[in-house]
Amino acid sequence: MNEKNKGPGTMAKTVRTAIIYVLVSLAIWGAAALLSQSGGKVVTHAVYDTFAKVIKIAVAVFVVIGLIQVWLTPQQVSRVLGKQAGWKGLLLASSVPMLVGGSLFMIFPLMKTLREKGARIAAVLAFVSAWSGKAPLLPLEIEFLGWRFAVLRIVLVVPFAIACGVLGELILEGVVRGRRGPGMAEK
Amino acid sequence: MKLDVGNIYLLIAAGLLIASLIKDPAKTKRALAVTGNVALTVLPVLLLIFVLMGVIEAFVPRQTIVSLLGSGRGVFSIIIGELLGSFALFQPAAVFPFAGFLRKSGAGYGAALGFVMSAMLIGLSTLPLEIQTFGGRFTLTRNLLSFLLILALGVIFMVVL
Repeated sequence: MNEKNKGPGTMAKTVRTAIIYVLVSLAIWGAAALLSQSGGKVVTHAVYDTFAKVIKIAVAVFVVIGLIQVWLTPQQVSRVLGKQAGWKGLLLASSVPMLVGGSLFMIFPLMKTLREKGARIAAVLAFVSAWSGKAPLLPLEIEFLGWRFAVLRIVLVVPFAIACGVLGELILEGVVRGRRGPGMAEK
Repeated sequence: MKLDVGNIYLLIAAGLLIASLIKDPAKTKRALAVTGNVALTVLPVLLLIFVLMGVIEAFVPRQTIVSLLGSGRGVFSIIIGELLGSFALFQPAAVFPFAGFLRKSGAGYGAALGFVMSAMLIGLSTLPLEIQTFGGRFTLTRNLLSFLLILALGVIFMVVL
């Protein structure tokens, strides 16, 4: 696991970041309360109500994210997708990545690996777009935006990712035709 | 009495956890480490987002949000939602509570969708990494294309929902 390789330094950094977030939150909270008493109360209610609403769902989601990380690693996903070609590959790249967790910071290096393994640029673009489906966060999405919103978004993310891939490839390959490694950084 | 969905999700998660534990205890231990790490990363960010939600609720008039993000503003509201999402330096897990808050405060479905998708996909914070990894042309193409396609999705959301 990445977290293991990076050693205790990463953990210390995570804790430090967490503390900074908490302190900044408390500072803003305090400032709001100083500015107006009723304002401070509104903030307190918002924080309390939303946390109460979210905490069970969040714990469940975090557990599932952990399980997905070890049972279906992003590396496995990219390995499978790197091998698939044609429309099947594009369809897979436009759907499977919605199961993958992490932030964009984690996804970009993965896309680079995918590209280096020979995936076409449409698949790489589709991958990142489909990742935004964020299926593990579905319980949160349903809670805050309703199941109609969540279902419609998950369903439409697939054609969205395909469109992003195909159109992006058309633009990039058209523009950079004749150059080496279309769309890649000039080295 | 309303059914508490939180308990159902917890039951499902517990079930999966037990299945994983039976299949491979070592892997499950690693999974829990990931869970702890994610919780430690995400919960403080959620706190900040919730405080900001409270501050907006307390100090920004609902009318302002409606006039910027309300469905009555049509495509304009989706674009504002997208711009908001592009600038938001959010953990993905914090995106949905904030989008829900915007909805509650008068934002339309199109604007909420615009915010959610661009907060996930168009990050000003990730631009340097993307340019470094894939080059400027790729980055510009991907971000602009995403922005336009999200706009189209937003229109669908406005019409359907």
